[in-house]
Amino acid sequence: MPNTKTVKDMMIDVFEYPHMPYWFTIRQAIGIIKNSLIKSDKCIHPQAVLVFDEKYNLMGVLTLKEILEGLEPRFLKPSTKAQGISGAEEDLSAVWASLFPKECKERAESPVSNVMIPVKSFVSPDDEVAKAAYHMVHDDLMLLPVIKGGKLMGIIRMIEVFQEVSDVVLKD
Amino acid sequence: MESLIDRENPQKLYIQLTEIIKNKMLNKEWQVGAQIPTEEELCTIYGVSKATVRTAILELVRQGYLIRQQGKGTFVSKKVISEGLTMITSFREMMLEAGVEFSTKVLAQTVMMPTDDLDVKLGISEDKHLIYIKRLRTVEGDPVLLQEAYIPHHICPSILSEDVEHNSIFELFEKKYGKKITKVKGYIEIAYLTKDEAGLLGLETGSAALLLSQHFFSGDTQVMYTRSVKRPDRFKFSIELEKKA
Repeated sequence: MPNTKTVKDMMIDVFEYPHMPYWFTIRQAIGIIKNSLIKSDKCIHPQAVLVFDEKYNLMGVLTLKEILEGLEPRFLKPSTKAQGISGAEEDLSAVWASLFPKECKERAESPVSNVMIPVKSFVSPDDEVAKAAYHMVHDDLMLLPVIKGGKLMGIIRMIEVFQEVSDVVLKD
Repeated sequence: MESLIDRENPQKLYIQLTEIIKNKMLNKEWQVGAQIPTEEELCTIYGVSKATVRTAILELVRQGYLIRQQGKGTFVSKKVISEGLTMITSFREMMLEAGVEFSTKVLAQTVMMPTDDLDVKLGISEDKHLIYIKRLRTVEGDPVLLQEAYIPHHICPSILSEDVEHNSIFELFEKKYGKKITKVKGYIEIAYLTKDEAGLLGLETGSAALLLSQHFFSGDTQVMYTRSVKRPDRFKFSIELEKKA
């Protein structure tokens, strides 16, 4: 993508997203998501919470999916089969439903660090958007931290990356 | 007979509702520990808007009469409120061993959202970011005080990167950021230590400690709320009261 914008042209402020420390529980994360994203009608996508350590270093990201996974009854975690799911696994969704109300309250007391997506890749403000796109595709991420000199400068999301890519593709 | 809102009364509706609810608790109509009606039910009973009900409830939570529990409801507090100290007060706290030097260890200096009733305690909306600072104070290696400070991020974002190991947050507000602290509202009570608190203070889980909760104001704006858990065997308090002129 020649002459594309750099990450700093399209990153957003980290304070657009709710924050929480890693020791908060899933129950507290649910409260934060309801208050900061759902009740307030904040139309930010993906809906996520940024998870930090004691020194305000970004550790991970928590979306609605990780929360639901964190509440899932333990023995129903997916197996690592090479081909699709078996009929027996499909049936487990019924067991999931029956066990869910009982176990979810207990599991909601686990720390969010157990379920968050750890931050493994990042970009710097002067990187080209293509680099952000690369990490998003290969690391399966919807957003990436933008870091300079060890300091968190902002967040770049897939929607902005897509916008830039689509401009390049559709340009006459 | 049910007290009603008087719309002819020049007093604001939420103030009237606050008094009505407070009287229900003082008259034991709503018993200690009981769950009070939901906001929707109170709207119907008193014919007022949800905003009026919410403001009245938040005021009573702030005053300590009610406790909000996320996802459960609002309950009549089990604590007794002392009112009426309307004098100029100077407050000092002293270590039992006078003249000892504190050491401070910063356990956390990060950002979070308000959980439980922190939004009410700070008078902010639930989607505001907070700077969270947790410090452990020791004397000659012995932990004596665990303090958590909550500062609305928009009030003073730079506190996040300040050296709070060697500087007082109070002094940073006043001397570096020009925010004069004009009022401090404090509550002292007995707290029973959580596992985390007990571990840090070197006490047994569930043992009693002194809890000092303080609300710091600069003008009409609350700039900080602190929660300090102190070993009861290492502190005494001194309160000086001076009548307003």
